[in-house]
Amino acid sequence: MTSAATPTYPLRALNVSKSFLVGRIRTQVLTDLSLDVEAGRLTLIAGPSGCGKSTLLAILSGLLRVEAGAVQALGKDLAELSRHELERFRLSHTGFIFQEFGLFPALTALEQVELPLHYLGMSRASARVRAEQSLEEVGMATRSRLRPSELSGGEKQRVAIARAIAKEPALLFADEPTSALDAANGALVIDLLHRIARSHGTTVLCVSHDPRVISHADRVFQMEDGRILESHPRPPTPILKGHTA
Amino acid sequence: MTSLALKTLIYEWRRFLPAVLAVGFACLLQLLQIAFVLGIFSSASVYITGSTAQLWIGYPGTQSVNVGRPVHEELRSRLAMDPQVQRVEPFLWLDADWRSARGGASVIVSGIDERPNGLMFAHVLPAELRAQLTVPDTVIVDRADLSKLGVNVGEWATINGERVRIIGVTQGLRALGGVNVVASLQTARHLDAGGSTSIGPTYFVAQLRGPDNAEAVARRLCCQASFGPYEVWTAKAFARRSELYWLLDTGAGAGVMFLAVIVFAAGAAISSQALMAAVGGSLREYATLNALGVGIASLRWVVLEQALWVGAAGLLGAAALGGALLLLARSQDVPVVLDIWVTLLCMGVALGVAVVSGLAAVQSLRRADPATLLR
Ligand SMILES: Nc1ncnc2c1ncn2[C@@H]1O[C@H](COP(=O)(O)OP(=O)(O)OP(=O)(O)O)[C@@H](O)[C@H]1O
Ligand SMILES: [Mg+2]
Repeated sequence: MTSAATPTYPLRALNVSKSFLVGRIRTQVLTDLSLDVEAGRLTLIAGPSGCGKSTLLAILSGLLRVEAGAVQALGKDLAELSRHELERFRLSHTGFIFQEFGLFPALTALEQVELPLHYLGMSRASARVRAEQSLEEVGMATRSRLRPSELSGGEKQRVAIARAIAKEPALLFADEPTSALDAANGALVIDLLHRIARSHGTTVLCVSHDPRVISHADRVFQMEDGRILESHPRPPTPILKGHTA
Repeated sequence: MTSLALKTLIYEWRRFLPAVLAVGFACLLQLLQIAFVLGIFSSASVYITGSTAQLWIGYPGTQSVNVGRPVHEELRSRLAMDPQVQRVEPFLWLDADWRSARGGASVIVSGIDERPNGLMFAHVLPAELRAQLTVPDTVIVDRADLSKLGVNVGEWATINGERVRIIGVTQGLRALGGVNVVASLQTARHLDAGGSTSIGPTYFVAQLRGPDNAEAVARRLCCQASFGPYEVWTAKAFARRSELYWLLDTGAGAGVMFLAVIVFAAGAAISSQALMAAVGGSLREYATLNALGVGIASLRWVVLEQALWVGAAGLLGAAALGGALLLLARSQDVPVVLDIWVTLLCMGVALGVAVVSGLAAVQSLRRADPATLLR
């Protein structure tokens, strides 16, 4: 492999292995797995339940450490970063979207989005502006004063997306972002993720077995039993407005 | 910056209410217990603290005002000779037996100088009441003790078989080991069936010309063998000695300390559990923030801030309720003593418990592993 010839990937897994010890039994979850994620695309990891998708996502995003192999994110070897440095890295470069939205019940949509920006050291005023922009982008500008209890599931997930993209991360991770949502809201969220990858050049890595997501992804990695089986590159598809499954 | 801690606390107050109540009640219990204990033990020295005498002269080695033995009558002139001494008064202490139509009790008779400018019980006895003691065979008791003694004002009873009349009641005279009965020196001598005071009174008390040099005068007056055995204490020292005697030597103090430790431990355990439960309710959200790169250290501050607010809210409630309860106790003549330092100490301890609980709850943040959100 010559470094000059290979395109630079923002996210790479190199011969990664991971196992969990439960009691005396060690289960191998990821086995010698390698993966390159292209920049500015919506990449999907699909596969049966329990095959290790979420574990892979956690490893690629620096939430979990590898046992063997290496993870390179934005050219950094994550194994070399301390816990504090990893937090710092995530704060500056990564966004997350979870199946359960992880919003604070007490905060309004605007405050949810502002919160990580404050920790990033942004001033009050610029955090406000940035948060409003993000909410605008996910179509939640008019609902920015509402708390989670006053929002629908789809709206909550859009606030979570706004929170994740407000700091303009280079990497965006999403674990089953649509599985708690109905068809229409799910489509909206996928559409958003796709658009974020396009317009911001964000590298979006998504885990899902939602067929709607599969049809929207630029690239799909099929996973089984802790290994990547195959990958299908897809030509960029035009964004379908109001698409429903 | 948006205070996540405070906003969450206000919006989800129901979730934090148990913790607020736990901290509040822990503080309240501690505070009331101390107030009552101090109240009870301060009544051991009511003879001293209720009087204006600056020096107490009694039998050497007397550990507490209630275990005094008679001193020599001639001591009086020796004390009065000192240029700094303005006034000397005898004080008689008698354990006696009370009988009335409706009850009997063991009482403590205090024989005092009933003249208007008398030192003994000057803080407790209004002047006109004190003056009435000049009538022979009259006594004054605390109004809260009337039912125990089975008498009303104006009625007759017997002490050690001698008839006495209740001429009035006052407040702040309740005793620790019995019922205080105040009489004139003359009446008290008359009631002294055992005759232990025939050689002299149980104590002499003295007032000095200058108030500040009590310790120096006490040292100077002390212990010339020619006047029989005696010792001189300042009022402050003797009161402290008496209270400590009850606290330490009677076993009551050990029990109280034991109880205080239990109350503290129980309060700490309950508060920390309640606080940890309240904090734990946000664990998933904290984990999400941590995934987004907000450090555990920053999240710790959020939790600690929450603990402090919970503590403050609890203390506010405890202060309000405690104040009301103490006023109620006072109005019912229950002896309670609380000074600002003890209150601050209690509040500090409660706040400390809240912070320590918060720190324990912070430990639970370790479980807020964001990887667990990816399942
Ligand atoms: N912390 C852990 N301790 C023990 N075992 C674990 C742990 N995390 C994951 N596993 C195991 O690893 C395997 C893969 O888990 P993972 O969550 O990655 O699956 P998944 O592909 O995301 O499944 P799903 O589609 O149902 O979310 C599972 O068998 C799971 O039991
Ligand atoms: Mg999963």
